[in-house]
Amino acid sequence: MDHNTYLPRLAKIIHIKEEVSGTRPIKTFRAQFLQENGFSYRCGQCAMLSVFGKGESMISISSSPLVNDYLQFSILKMGRVTSALHEMQVDDIIGIRGPYGNSFPIEKWKGKNLIFIGGGIGLAPIWSVLNTALGKKQDYGKLTLFYGARTSNDLVFKEELEELRQDLTVHLSIDVEEPEWNDYVGFVPLNVLDKKPSPKNAISITCGPPIMIKFVIQNLQALGFKDEQIFTTVENKMKCGIGKCGRCNIGLHYVCKDGPVYSWAELKNLPQEY
Amino acid sequence: MDKILSKKAFSQWVKMLQSFRIYAPLRDDDIWTYEVVKLPEHIDLDFLTTALSPKKIIFPQKEVFLEFRKTNEDAPEIKEVLPEEDPTIIFGVRPCDAKALTLTDKVFGGDFDDIYYWKRRNHTILVGLACNTPPSPNCFCLSVDGSPHSTDGLDILMTDLGDRYYVESLSKKGDELLNLGKSLFTQPKSTDKKDKDKIQAESRKKIKRQIKDLKKVPPKLMGMWGSPFWDEEAMSCLRCGICTYMCPTCHCFDINDEILSRAPLKGRRVRTWDNCQFPDFTMHSSGHNPRPDKSSRLRQRIMHKFQYFVECYQDYQCTGCGRCISKCPVGIDIIEVLEKVRDYGS
Repeated sequence: MDHNTYLPRLAKIIHIKEEVSGTRPIKTFRAQFLQENGFSYRCGQCAMLSVFGKGESMISISSSPLVNDYLQFSILKMGRVTSALHEMQVDDIIGIRGPYGNSFPIEKWKGKNLIFIGGGIGLAPIWSVLNTALGKKQDYGKLTLFYGARTSNDLVFKEELEELRQDLTVHLSIDVEEPEWNDYVGFVPLNVLDKKPSPKNAISITCGPPIMIKFVIQNLQALGFKDEQIFTTVENKMKCGIGKCGRCNIGLHYVCKDGPVYSWAELKNLPQEY
Repeated sequence: MDKILSKKAFSQWVKMLQSFRIYAPLRDDDIWTYEVVKLPEHIDLDFLTTALSPKKIIFPQKEVFLEFRKTNEDAPEIKEVLPEEDPTIIFGVRPCDAKALTLTDKVFGGDFDDIYYWKRRNHTILVGLACNTPPSPNCFCLSVDGSPHSTDGLDILMTDLGDRYYVESLSKKGDELLNLGKSLFTQPKSTDKKDKDKIQAESRKKIKRQIKDLKKVPPKLMGMWGSPFWDEEAMSCLRCGICTYMCPTCHCFDINDEILSRAPLKGRRVRTWDNCQFPDFTMHSSGHNPRPDKSSRLRQRIMHKFQYFVECYQDYQCTGCGRCISKCPVGIDIIEVLEKVRDYGS
């Protein structure tokens, strides 16, 4: 009983990268605990980040658990805490508690083809599992990534994606035409329908805005994917991270504890409260 | 262990327990609230439903989790603030409110213990008082598997027999309190036992409000998710949140940082009660709100208490204290809502 789950541990920001500028800016932060941490996490889990004096915000961990020396978070500037994070510099101190939630069942996916489908900042939770699969490439079949955003400026991990093209098939998209854009133009769900990934021996992992997830799932079903082959993540407002503060529930599930990862077979039976 | 305590000897017993911090219902104008007792003579166990339940002692409306301080460019200093572990006794706990603590125990326990809750809970002894007459006209404990003399969650149950109390110890902690006042207690005679049984049987009959067949409600609720029923029921709701604020079983909370000084930065992280009836409760920072209107929030309150909680813990998250009915400014009556659910579509 003596463990205090609400107590954050201090961590230093060791790296900041501006991914997206403009009105919906995204930055990627890497942080290292000041003291030996014992913070072990799984792909898909989240952490509660503190900016002291501003509060806490639940953020998905975008680094792979294969990486030992830092935690990575890609954060869209949105509310009070994320705005404060965007003001921070390298060497500034934040608080981290967690990890929270369930995870992608990647052990069960060995030998399967993995199809990652991300929209906007939704690439962050995918990034953790994608890089884990890449790190253990021999364990998995063919890896494919669909990723899109409103404009080319809104895409995160651009340089990394170019490097990754050697190791996996990448299908990028933007919502509206731009000069010098050679990839797909149109919404992510349409790009999926256009490229027709095969459901055979495959698992799909979809993260992004709720409306995108909805249509991606419809299109995957049209391509023959079964509910058990479709995985996604859900987000809701959270405060405690341990299923007690009462606000992130969808039906009797607390997203912070029982989620954020769901197969469509599970999620379709829950009320649409996200 | 069953004992008899004369009413005259009650305050002497309390005096013998001075090593504990003692709470009891105290009257302020026409409101009863659980407060720290300075003079045992001030305790008057003839009280109506208290404004808030003793939950506020275990899980206070506001509590500090940690303090932070930052000077210059140094790393912030974080100081964990844990509750004091003072041995505490709460007198005059109504059976419904004691049962309610057994329900919040389930929430604050489980996979992750909430250290702030348990530090207080583990050091608190609950001395109950059976309700010979319902302390509120809206009491309905019998309908939610409770009773006016239920012992759930209590360490001691006292029943008023006119000039004396029938005192039942229900736990080791209860035994200790009786031992501390040993000289004051006598053995119950068979007539005492008879008087107690008679009073308790009569007390059940005095409870006027009830919901028949509540067990039909939980299975029905899931099928009513998209029903216009919730719009109709929530129409008059003012979104004031008093129903959950007064509730002895509601546990939702918020965590925020309070600034005491900006330069140098000094402040504290606090937990405060929160409320599922407020729009901000679930609103994402993007403005998207999964429970955007009064009807979805009323549905959440009813579903949580009578469907989700039942599914998770095989118990209603309601103990029939009647506070939400008595205090709702527009007369939303949880009994009537549940009856309508029960009869919906039939």
